[in-house]
Amino acid sequence: MMDELELLKRDWQKKEHNHPKLTYNEIYNMLWKKSSSIVKWIFIISILEFVLPHLLYLLPSSRNNLDLFGSNGFNYYFIGFSIFYYLVVFYFIFQFYNRYKEITVLDNAKNLMSKIIRTRKTVKHYVIFSLSMILVTVLLFMLGIYLNNDFTVLLESMGENAKKMSPEKFKNTLIIAIGIFGVIMVAVMGLIYFLLYGLLLKKLNRNYSELKKLEL
Amino acid sequence: MSKELEHAFVTELENNQNIVHKVCTLYTNDRDAHNDLFQEITIQLWKAYPKFRGDAKFSTWMYRVSLNTAITLYRKSKKRVQTLDYDSVIFKIKTDEYDETEEQQLKLMYEAVKQLNDIDKALVFLYLEDKNYTEISETLGISEVNARVKMNRVKTKLKAILNP
Repeated sequence: MMDELELLKRDWQKKEHNHPKLTYNEIYNMLWKKSSSIVKWIFIISILEFVLPHLLYLLPSSRNNLDLFGSNGFNYYFIGFSIFYYLVVFYFIFQFYNRYKEITVLDNAKNLMSKIIRTRKTVKHYVIFSLSMILVTVLLFMLGIYLNNDFTVLLESMGENAKKMSPEKFKNTLIIAIGIFGVIMVAVMGLIYFLLYGLLLKKLNRNYSELKKLEL
Repeated sequence: MSKELEHAFVTELENNQNIVHKVCTLYTNDRDAHNDLFQEITIQLWKAYPKFRGDAKFSTWMYRVSLNTAITLYRKSKKRVQTLDYDSVIFKIKTDEYDETEEQQLKLMYEAVKQLNDIDKALVFLYLEDKNYTEISETLGISEVNARVKMNRVKTKLKAILNP
């Protein structure tokens, strides 16, 4: 009996002419359409991941918080921490850029997938680092407030309700509020990140593991 | 990019568009999805075109880019409702030389191929396109031996479908 696949091949090649035929102009117009490839999405999301946490520092409220520490030795720790933080961020951006540049559609399927996964891993590590740093920053703020007893400046800027509170109560409320805000922010950012990539890379991960299975 | 490059690219693609259509037929289930994937492959081919230095045949290079786009890069847009009309249109075309049984067999086989996972589909597609195992293994990034083993499994699977 003839090989089933040979039969299929014969038929497949016979049907060559049954496919749609696009004109020169139709193809030409497609060149200027926007791509919706996952690599493009990974790039966009990653840039957002790099940029968004830094925008938080630009908010006026976080600048005020920084002023809070200006009076004592805390400032030096904060500068040291920031230098460390930005060095690591630049390392991640550099790594991300290098890996992103390596991705080419001309590669074989397995290499292409593994390079995309490697690029995404860089961003994943960055996000984990970034989220932990937010937590550390929140802890530092909480510690700073705990150690700081001069709230007159801060109290001035707050509303009437805050002024009525005892300094002790105000301090505790502030520490708890910052703590809760920090944890919620980290949780939400983490969730968004893992959901986005989970959805985006579902197909890729499935196909990559399929290819890996072939190698066993 | 220069006008000549655009012209050269579109002409090459126009002449070889069947390769892309075939990939789209295998990997999508309706006309909208087919067109959507065709467009994404065209964009990817165009983006990579400056790197194509003519050391390979344009068509050889198209197989790789088309499959990579279908398997890895392409994201289905959520808006579409999936229907099964389209592939049955493509595959059901009657040819006089075939007897009923053979036609029925072919139909079953096409359906079976469409149900394969993305990677198996790529293997079968390259096989149907008369690519040898060296080319298949190079396109997918697996060893030649593994490509053969996998191909035999797919053959067994098809055989089982046709001779239950």
